[in-house]
Amino acid sequence: MTPCLEISANLSDLFTCSNVNGFVRIRTPFLYPDGDVIDIYLQEKNGQRTLTDLGDTLGWLRGQTIARKKTDKQESLLQDICLNHGIEQFRGMFFLRVDAQQSFATEVIRLSQALVRVSDLWFTFKTRAYESIVEEVADFLSDLKIPFDQNVKCKGRSGRTRNIDFQTRNSLRTSFIEVLSTGSKAAANSKVDSIVSTWHDLSHMRVGQQSIEFISLFDDTLDIWSAFNIQQLNDLSEISYWSQPEELKNLLCQTT
Amino acid sequence: MTKRIEGDIKWSEDEDHSPASEFRVEVLSDVGYPLFLKGRYNPLTSKLSYHIIHKGVGRIYGLDLGQDHKNPDGTYVGEKHKHRWTILEKDKVAYVPSDITALADTPVLVWQQFCLEAKIKHDGILQSPLPFQYDLFLP
Repeated sequence: MTPCLEISANLSDLFTCSNVNGFVRIRTPFLYPDGDVIDIYLQEKNGQRTLTDLGDTLGWLRGQTIARKKTDKQESLLQDICLNHGIEQFRGMFFLRVDAQQSFATEVIRLSQALVRVSDLWFTFKTRAYESIVEEVADFLSDLKIPFDQNVKCKGRSGRTRNIDFQTRNSLRTSFIEVLSTGSKAAANSKVDSIVSTWHDLSHMRVGQQSIEFISLFDDTLDIWSAFNIQQLNDLSEISYWSQPEELKNLLCQTT
Repeated sequence: MTKRIEGDIKWSEDEDHSPASEFRVEVLSDVGYPLFLKGRYNPLTSKLSYHIIHKGVGRIYGLDLGQDHKNPDGTYVGEKHKHRWTILEKDKVAYVPSDITALADTPVLVWQQFCLEAKIKHDGILQSPLPFQYDLFLP
């Protein structure tokens, strides 16, 4: 048998069908990044066939991360995938109205390929959440065209070298930003203690004509921080929350 | 049993308002690992999953029902499988858990079996998933 004959004879065996809750489930040979199998579903109503994943793909993505929401970048990539493959996203499901002019197999493959691409957004997840938010802050500053340095080393009054997440500088002011992000309430206190110590050690830089403003930026996407945590840093720095980026922008752009 | 979850757990809809219900809770431990547990139930596809996610690593343990899986060696595991994280293969290898006997459409029963097997003490109850209105999704 020639390769072409072999393909035409066997390719269809890779797709299996069964009835699930009134839909025809098509089990594809395609896989999510962890090896789970991608299923798509066929619904026929009023003479129109529709293929959909019934929400499984974004559900699979959500199951890999503790984040409650997709980032703007991920949303933008999703729109790009929908546009490229001519599929529609509605209420967390991907749909494709089967075009009678196209072969059904073409439409099945089209949706399947789109779902593979969607699940590959997994590669954009940064499981190390702290690094993720630091990267997001860097993107945020770049978008605002605020010049910044990352991982700035400064000698404190104690003689110890302190690492600062960001130093920003514009015509109005210079700021140090320390990012507070952790997934555990147990680690929250020690993170705050460490930054309290840093701000104390660098407090001499807040005075004088070329003073530097200190900003403690809390990742409040998780309910981790206590009122006491925030109060401790409020005495030494300006407080900002990652859920309110506009306020951070205002802080960075206001005069000292 | 050092892992525990405190309080009742309620399902809610996800950010996309999809047909599925989900929840996320913190898993407390004496050591203070940053662990979360996410549950998701899609009544349209009869798929249920409970995943334990380490904030620094990603999913380290997870049960899937109604969802087939293919291991890196090419074998299909079937619609009831568990992922367990290993250094070599991360979470890509799954196996059939004999201790889970409840079906995907009984999320509360599966939850009880999952907690037992994963050695998680839940001081509370898991409520039933949200009622599903078919016509709102696929008119």
